[in-house]
Amino acid sequence: MAAELAINAHARYFKHCLTMLPAETTSLDATRMTIAQLCLVGLATLGRLEDTLPEKRRAEMVEWIYAQQIPNGRGGYGGFRGGSLFGPHDRCEYEPANSGNLAATYSALCSLLLLGDDLSRVDKQAVVGAIRSLQQESGTFAPHPGTTERDPRFIYCACAISTILGDWSGVDKDAATRYIVGCCNYDGGLTQMPFQESHGGHLYCCIAGLSLMGRLDALPSRQRTLQWALFRQSGGYQGRANKAPDVCYSFWVGASIEILGGHDLVDSSAVVHFIQQCESTIGGLSKWPGYLPDPLHAALGIVGFSFHRPEQFPHISPELLLPASVVDRLQTLEIRRR
Amino acid sequence: MRIDGCSDIEDPAPLAQQAAWQDVEPIAQDDGPSPICPIAYTDEYREMMGYLRAVMAAGEESARALALSGRVIQANPGHYTAWVYRKRLVEALASDIGAELDWVSALSAKHPKNYQLWHHREALVERLWPARAALALPEDQRLANPVLRRELQFVGSALDEDAKNFHAWSYRQWLVARYELWAQELAFVDTMISQDVRNNSAWNQRYFAVLRGRPATTQLDAALARAEVAYAVEHIQFAPNNDSPWAYVVGLLLRHAPAALHEELLPRIRALAADPGFAPAMSSTPFYWSALVDIHEQQARALPPAERAPLLDEARAICDRLATQVDITHNRYWRFRKTAVGA
Repeated sequence: MAAELAINAHARYFKHCLTMLPAETTSLDATRMTIAQLCLVGLATLGRLEDTLPEKRRAEMVEWIYAQQIPNGRGGYGGFRGGSLFGPHDRCEYEPANSGNLAATYSALCSLLLLGDDLSRVDKQAVVGAIRSLQQESGTFAPHPGTTERDPRFIYCACAISTILGDWSGVDKDAATRYIVGCCNYDGGLTQMPFQESHGGHLYCCIAGLSLMGRLDALPSRQRTLQWALFRQSGGYQGRANKAPDVCYSFWVGASIEILGGHDLVDSSAVVHFIQQCESTIGGLSKWPGYLPDPLHAALGIVGFSFHRPEQFPHISPELLLPASVVDRLQTLEIRRR
Repeated sequence: MRIDGCSDIEDPAPLAQQAAWQDVEPIAQDDGPSPICPIAYTDEYREMMGYLRAVMAAGEESARALALSGRVIQANPGHYTAWVYRKRLVEALASDIGAELDWVSALSAKHPKNYQLWHHREALVERLWPARAALALPEDQRLANPVLRRELQFVGSALDEDAKNFHAWSYRQWLVARYELWAQELAFVDTMISQDVRNNSAWNQRYFAVLRGRPATTQLDAALARAEVAYAVEHIQFAPNNDSPWAYVVGLLLRHAPAALHEELLPRIRALAADPGFAPAMSSTPFYWSALVDIHEQQARALPPAERAPLLDEARAICDRLATQVDITHNRYWRFRKTAVGA
């Protein structure tokens, strides 16, 4: 069967991004850990991770990631930084240099797992302690101290980290569930805070968060939420009603539908067709057909595609954005028993 | 990259050549061996970051540090550590908050989708005029206050630029709820809906403005429900194949006035569907038929179990129609939905 995705071109694209990003991406400087995660999961989904990144390179990458882990006792936050823009920890003791955040920690753990690491060097107590300190009274989470940002993206990160490390003591599940239920909107969709517009990205963070906590039943109407998600499909998936489809929602909405049990209710060929239209001739995928690619849209488009081609691509866990083989390996990790 | 209105760009010469920075030893970037996703920074950004690291390491709180944080944020608005540092500097230096708001306004013109700047703005406004103080005044006086007038104008401009900017709507909700500016919000929503009846963000804001922060279990009085039905149907009439007003009115009533679904909404949409001028558009839009399924299910719920069958059968028949004719894209969903009717 002819390949339906330009696998070689996309693998090259991810390798390129991991090696060097152009100056135009300076705004990603604090989120390189997440870009790394996306490139790695993109490669893993294409089945090209080991080919593209030899063992030595993978080991070097693992070292770089651990170099972003905040040393014990430093700063007000435990976990990982979003990038190396402040340099090695042994040369900078000032607080901003040691400021991590929940998203970076989540991305770091996923990246380590994708690279075959066993997480044995993760400071589990610090990570879980940080999660605990960032949960708000309302049940949601801030990403780091010193900001009023607090929304389901970070609830999701907290839940994913807790799942990976096998330690939920940092998460008050009742409070987080209550917050998410409060984000159910009049149209069945989910959003960032009560009363805000239903949004595919927050849908994912809420649904995946609930699923990881084992609390999907808390949804007031699973059917209405599934309906909202399915109705985002017009060819590809849109993130909000009456907006143009965007390839990243192939994951945010597509994965939510998988979690809600709606896989068989999707018009698969239309999704596949749209994702293919978003493939860039230089490798990678762009949010809309004919635009420039970026690692986020590339990775999420490819994972979204894989849901509809199970014979050709490895199964990617919709809740954790990790290959099923990696999720299975979690059970064997010694860190979970600490 | 320069942004008009950001007055901290006074001297474009490299920092190493500026007299004001002679006493500072920049800290060079050190990504460590084999970094992942290293960025090929411009020389300018690389230099700025060297000096920013130096002032952060020294815990410096000065006007030049503030200016530098601004330049770094302009180049990299996602630099969350720089935002935290800037916020502390603004407080420590007792900077003029109005000027800082000007700076944020200029930044948002270039980076309207950045999360951090909206949160930075929120913190500034709360400091400038704490809600506790504001709420001691009646709403019309609150609205006349220059701080709030300016914020409403600012978020209004952001929405003029992009009427669906998620962050702008989110900020507006924060402003209206925090300062209880409810009385003026419906009029704003109506203006936005008039500009684009398909703007789902505006319809969502209508729900926000009608509920005024009350819980999902609130029951709305019959007159209000009737008025919202009339409003929605008027806009459905304008463009029947439009998700937003349908989702709004069905969602609003299901939660807050379920009886109005069949008492108010049903007769009006049936009348529209029977009107020769609108019949073709109404009968071909999935939203009309989908609303009927919701309405009949709700009607059935209000009846004793023995009497529900006719309505549920009607709902199932409509699911068939949707699956086979009106909404073939979602035909698998409608077949599934049929099995779940009345469950």
